[in-house]
Amino acid sequence: MFAAMTPELLQAAAASNQWGAIFPELALGCLALLLLVLEILLPKSAHARIPVVAILGQLVLLAVLLWNFAPTGLERDTFNGLLHHSRDGQFMRAFFLVSSILVCLLGTVALAKQKLPRVEFYHLVLVVTAAMMLLAQSNHFVLLFVALETVTVGFYILVSYFRASPLSLEAGLKYLIMGALSSALLLFGIVLLYGVAGNPALPGHTAEAMNFNALNAFLAANPDNFLAKAGIVLVLAGVAFKIGAFPFQIWIPDVYQGAPTPVTAFLAVASKAAGFAVLLVLTLRAFAPYATLTVPILSVLAAATILFGNIAALTQHNVKRLIGLSGVSHAGFLLIGVVAAVSTPLALGAVYFYLAAYLLATFAVFGVMTHVAGANDAEQELDHYAGLARDNPFLAAVLAVGLGSLAGIPPLAGFMGKLFVFIAAFKAGLYPLLTVAIVGVVISIYYYFGWIKAAFFEAWRAPLQEGEIDDRPARTPVAWPAGVTLGLLALCTVLLGFYQGSFGEWLLTR
Amino acid sequence: MTPVTQALLVLLLPLVSAAVIALFLRRQGGIATLVSVSVAAALAAVSLNLILGGERFTASMEWLRFGNFAVSLGFKFDDLAAVMLFVVSFVGFFIHLFSTGYMREDAARGRYFGGLSIFMFAMLGIVFADNLFMMFIFWELVGFSSYLLIGHWHERQSASDAAKKAFIVNRVGDFGFLLGILMCYWVHGTVNLTELGATHDGGGIIYSRLIPLLLFCGAIGKSAMMPLQVWLPDAMEGPTPVSALIHAATMVAAGIYMLCRIEVLMVPDALQVIMWVGTTTALYAALCAIVQRDIKKVLAYSTLSQLGYMVAAFGLGSSSFELNGVAIAAGVGAAMFHLTTHAFFKALLFLGSGSVIHGCQHEQDIFKMGGLKSKMPLTFWTFTIGVAAIIGMPGFAGFFSKDAILLLALQKNPAVFAILALTAVLTAFYMVRMWKLVFFGATRSEHAAHAHESGFSMTLPLIVLAVLSAVGGYSGIFGRIAGSVAYLVPHAEGADHTTILIVSLAVMIVGAGSAWWFYKSDATDTLEAKSRGLFRGLTVLKESFDVLYDYYVAKVQQRFAMLLNFLEQIFLAGLIIRGCAGLVGLMGLGGRALHVGSLHAYVYWFLFGLVLLWAYAAGVF
Repeated sequence: MFAAMTPELLQAAAASNQWGAIFPELALGCLALLLLVLEILLPKSAHARIPVVAILGQLVLLAVLLWNFAPTGLERDTFNGLLHHSRDGQFMRAFFLVSSILVCLLGTVALAKQKLPRVEFYHLVLVVTAAMMLLAQSNHFVLLFVALETVTVGFYILVSYFRASPLSLEAGLKYLIMGALSSALLLFGIVLLYGVAGNPALPGHTAEAMNFNALNAFLAANPDNFLAKAGIVLVLAGVAFKIGAFPFQIWIPDVYQGAPTPVTAFLAVASKAAGFAVLLVLTLRAFAPYATLTVPILSVLAAATILFGNIAALTQHNVKRLIGLSGVSHAGFLLIGVVAAVSTPLALGAVYFYLAAYLLATFAVFGVMTHVAGANDAEQELDHYAGLARDNPFLAAVLAVGLGSLAGIPPLAGFMGKLFVFIAAFKAGLYPLLTVAIVGVVISIYYYFGWIKAAFFEAWRAPLQEGEIDDRPARTPVAWPAGVTLGLLALCTVLLGFYQGSFGEWLLTR
Repeated sequence: MTPVTQALLVLLLPLVSAAVIALFLRRQGGIATLVSVSVAAALAAVSLNLILGGERFTASMEWLRFGNFAVSLGFKFDDLAAVMLFVVSFVGFFIHLFSTGYMREDAARGRYFGGLSIFMFAMLGIVFADNLFMMFIFWELVGFSSYLLIGHWHERQSASDAAKKAFIVNRVGDFGFLLGILMCYWVHGTVNLTELGATHDGGGIIYSRLIPLLLFCGAIGKSAMMPLQVWLPDAMEGPTPVSALIHAATMVAAGIYMLCRIEVLMVPDALQVIMWVGTTTALYAALCAIVQRDIKKVLAYSTLSQLGYMVAAFGLGSSSFELNGVAIAAGVGAAMFHLTTHAFFKALLFLGSGSVIHGCQHEQDIFKMGGLKSKMPLTFWTFTIGVAAIIGMPGFAGFFSKDAILLLALQKNPAVFAILALTAVLTAFYMVRMWKLVFFGATRSEHAAHAHESGFSMTLPLIVLAVLSAVGGYSGIFGRIAGSVAYLVPHAEGADHTTILIVSLAVMIVGAGSAWWFYKSDATDTLEAKSRGLFRGLTVLKESFDVLYDYYVAKVQQRFAMLLNFLEQIFLAGLIIRGCAGLVGLMGLGGRALHVGSLHAYVYWFLFGLVLLWAYAAGVF
């Protein structure tokens, strides 16, 4: 068989070999498989090392990715136009990888409190991460849908991972049904677009309607087509489900509460960011000719999301629901950036900067939550934070920095992120949206500071009666890897607020 | 290291020390002491190198930019800054050292030394500042650290009241200062000290007078000139080394330093006002000092009086003073000269009084002391040198600097000369009164009977400062530090020389002699016993300001504030804020009610949302 391979054939095969372009995704997939293999091969006593392998492997991968951050052949399509590689794609790759590392780290802390198989968790996180990377670089609806489903199916399992907990199972079920519903809408939208673009009666019709570039050309030739509009609205609704924009945010509090805390963090950061990566690609490339349709829709979504997220978060007592609804409002702020990006290139960098600041702050907060939570992962009340500043000043300080950054308190990174988005929106002339955003920021300070207050200022509690058990869970002591990571997250949040340096320059100048 | 790096090091070292202490060492008083004192030692060494290295420079960087207005941070290190740097870092170090002994038993040593470090940072910022905005920032920081240190023993009501009073009274002066800076920027377009020196356009008859006077308001607050002098005597509630460092040697002198910095902006009319404010304060404070019983209060009023001298000197010597036919800023020279010598001997006197207080188990009433000469010999001798310096004993530091001021007054304004000479009589009078009552005669209380000499860490600073108080006035010392500033100090020639010498000797002998002869070693004030009317008069004089201000604050301002508070509670807080918060809270409850937890409801909501979105996209609404 090998003899049949002539040098010409081998050369042609080598020339068309594009697997190198998705090296990070392939490596993540292999690492995920390696974890399963290790579970079979290693004795049970050594299973505790498997998460270490997962984290170290990803760190190495991150180093390789950053070292070769601008490979030759960036800004090109591969696999017959399935993927489009760009510097934004590289940024999102690094973003998802960092999220995944942090989720794995939180997983080691949270899973230690449960009697559950461990290794599958890391395996799933890695697979989902690889799919997210592909999703962010997709240039074709088929790949987009496949990658999206890979992510979503992975999340169905992750959300209900604490299978002994009814709330976790319920959350999994809710996510499954709502996710299926949104996928159906998305798919329906894609089909409509495919159908209308393949209509031979229309000018510029194409057989490659799934490809974003071809779709763009078709839409440009057919402004104001009814079916295309319907398809676009349905696709946007499907994506709005992922980012949790109003009115598709309804699943968020229940699912966030029921899911294991690391998975909630994964949903809040990586899944949301993946949604935004897709949304940016769609609005700025595929649907660009229909900006007159997408801009008003997204603007209304943004305003409603900001107001609803912040107002609904006001009265929450469960911190997981609270951070979920605060995440809804952050999606609103990011949507402002997406809307501004249609006319102002600066906004694109602002969105990415916002995402980076959001990642740092959110994982800082979730890291603290993981340590404060007890075995019952769904019950994490604001009351449980009473006296945190006294008992564990380190965690309290990290929490304060994280929440302060989410609230957008200067000089933290979250403030700079909001500032950049607002500047971009100002340049794009989105004054009504800015007004809504500022109202939203004011409301958000109330509940973020309520949380900080719970951690720093003691509220009076009735002394425990004889034999009465404290219903507040015991706090997990901070081991050094988590401590170093949380310290780094808080430090980066502060530093990035003071000085954006070449990172900010790289993001904002384009 | 380049000079700029050295200056940066000098400025930032105490900040680092303060941050480390505030973050990690609040409860480890011992380590905090070590950190703070070694930082003070290091920065004294680097400053000395900087001063004697002879390198003078300016350097600046932009900090914030708003449109075409930039706030820059920068160093202006000239001879004037060098003198001040010497005073702050050198005296500062010895006071740190003294504090290690004085505060040894204090439970909150960490906070104390952190406060000293943040004070050093703020004060050095004023010294180095190359523009008025930067100076203002550090000016406020100095006020803040002064607040911290006066209120160090905050569990005492009087201490926390005094801290508040100092802070609030300073705000009044700082308000004028800020207005002055803003007006200066508005008129001249810059607040950089070097660039201001190059502007000759006064900005019209009103602004040219208003700007220096508004800026002088800052000095009135910080240097406790009349009518804002009320906070300084109360500030003696702080630990004694703090009184020595902040309320005698450095911070209160910052007002004088600031005036010398903005000398280029001065016009004769403004100088006239400044001169009279200084002269009046000098006399008033000297009168008040005579009836004080508390050893620190005597020194506080004496400080006020000496600061009045410096301000008067600055007001007297505008650039119209001629030396060998060349116009020089003699006021700056005389004021800075007296500032330097005063820093030495007043720090010495305060630390000496600290040593006495420490020895007498925190007894501060001079009528309950007495006879400490033999019990605390080292303190006695060093204190005596301090007294000799402040009353102008020939050969000691104070003699030269006071003569320079008297000479200026003699040549410019006979009335001021007469008042300052009278003040000098009173200075000698109250200092010798205190000296005699504390160290001579019979021991008049239990505490004083058990007095003992203080430890080495407290006596070493006394010795060093005593040496400086003795020799600091000679040009070999002052001239070496001050460089060109030393040339600005006026020297008497011929007939003036004789007049000044005779007058200053006469006032010293009259004042000291009458006090020595008049006061008896007794538990009651001899003046009170012999001339009740005079004593009462002086006491009323001292208290009149406080009574007036208390009346204003309690009766006028408080009632106005109550009225505003009432309106605020009803309308702003009640209707607008509570109303909005209530409304948003209700909406929050509504939003919360939406998440019922039922999957059916969610699916319907989801589809309903899609319909809404489609309706909006289709333009239905």
